[in-house]
Amino acid sequence: MSAPDFYFAVNAIFRHIHDRYGKFALIDYWRRLGHEYYAARVKRWSEGGTDAIAHDWKQYFAQEPQAQVEISANEKSVDLDVRVCPAIKHLRDQNRDIVPYFCEHCDQVCGSMAEDAGYRFERTGGMGSCHQRFVHLTLGGEKKERI
Amino acid sequence: MLGCQDFCGYYDWTFDHVRRTFGQDAVHELWAQAIGGESQRHYVEAGHRAGLRGLYEAWTATGEDEKCDWTFTLDEQKNVLRWDMRQCPSKGFLLQNDLNQDEDYCDHCMGWEGPMLQSIGIEIAGHEHNHSGQCWGELRIMDKPYESLDLPVDIRKDPRWQNGYLDRFANHVKLPLLETASRSADVCDVLRDWFTDADQLLVLGRGPSAIEKWAGSQPHERVIVTAPTYSARDVFKGEPTAVLISSPPDDPLVAGVASRFNQTPPELRPLLMYAYLPSIPPFDFSRFDLPRPVPILPLLIRRGLYRHEPNGPFPTTGVFSLLLAVALGKPVAVAGIDLYRHSSGRTYADGSEPASADWPPYHSLECDLRYLRLASQMAGINLRFPPQE
Repeated sequence: MSAPDFYFAVNAIFRHIHDRYGKFALIDYWRRLGHEYYAARVKRWSEGGTDAIAHDWKQYFAQEPQAQVEISANEKSVDLDVRVCPAIKHLRDQNRDIVPYFCEHCDQVCGSMAEDAGYRFERTGGMGSCHQRFVHLTLGGEKKERI
Repeated sequence: MLGCQDFCGYYDWTFDHVRRTFGQDAVHELWAQAIGGESQRHYVEAGHRAGLRGLYEAWTATGEDEKCDWTFTLDEQKNVLRWDMRQCPSKGFLLQNDLNQDEDYCDHCMGWEGPMLQSIGIEIAGHEHNHSGQCWGELRIMDKPYESLDLPVDIRKDPRWQNGYLDRFANHVKLPLLETASRSADVCDVLRDWFTDADQLLVLGRGPSAIEKWAGSQPHERVIVTAPTYSARDVFKGEPTAVLISSPPDDPLVAGVASRFNQTPPELRPLLMYAYLPSIPPFDFSRFDLPRPVPILPLLIRRGLYRHEPNGPFPTTGVFSLLLAVALGKPVAVAGIDLYRHSSGRTYADGSEPASADWPPYHSLECDLRYLRLASQMAGINLRFPPQE
């Protein structure tokens, strides 16, 4: 299991870029991070489809302390039911001042990754629990099947 | 989401992004303000609460959390809190995953610790890191007598300490990397200063064109060669300005370099350089009585001439040498980079042949071509190759 205090740095870096350079710079940072740093994950998503995306997130959240996430997929989409967001939980537990736009990093990082892999990213909810969805851009996708 | 499991990977990427987008000073500001000022405020609280003992407790807890292989030693009578890091999990993550996005990941620790500690009246009396996962540091309360510790666990007594290249700090200040070459603590300046009086550079690879007429007609005052050339004196018999040691190095090659280097008067010795690629196991140059070579990646990354591709091929030594010469901003003539397809049918200038017709391990034609194109774009008319036959 990884060291959760790293979430402090994630939150602080977001605030620093936002306050020093503005929201646009923060969004640009998030999107480039998704596009460049996660290029290898995106490649696996592109090649492996929704099963690969679901498998990737299962493995990812399994390493995040206190994460509670249900993941389901069909051939057109992947759903992440984030019941306990590990980052928000740890930041709250440690009385850290969470930037109000914290959850937007998922929209931009995952959104950038999704687009590069041929998907659309959607999120509802936030600040502790949310629902995230990766929808294939050409196949569309509404039907859910638990895996 | 951005998790904590791969944090060190995108932390490294973030430093590079901030430098590229907002400038060199911006990354120091990020370390001081975001990391030292906010993220790690629990150290400030611990230091305020109980001085060095508070920091000792906070860092020990971090060490357990991050599974650090280190020893923290507190001696309040001597006014010193010391750490000896045997294997840094943070740098270790990068090495394990072949990551090297930023020009100097290790610098971030002093980047946030220095300002944070200064704010609570504590000073980094001394610190060194070898960019291979080993480091040590001693903290003291300012304006009080301090005595350095001599411990059995001193990482400098560990064989691994000989790996990598050293950055050194005293009293919060980063010290010059190689004083004989430069007064600057910036490794990129060391390379620039070493070549500062060169009007132009000649880069000689190991391909057959390195010993052809065109190469022989080029000015040979400032020459960059590869380690086999320096060792064998075949492609170039004079004293080169700098030698790039191949990745990965091997004992016979480095022994050959050491033999010539150590028999050469100090004032005529070349600058030894090395890439320190994360995918290549650490190499102890001190076994051959050689100084730690100067790293080339920081300058190449800073100049936009290299982006590390995890688990991918990297440029051959000749192409790395060329990239370095271009990074220095001098007019460059290059020969001996024949991409293993010289018209003579020979592979190397010395007539030796590779074990197979394939490209050597770690390299590829596509990779070398990509970097040759990049070098040409960056240098423009300042870069000259042998004329096509």
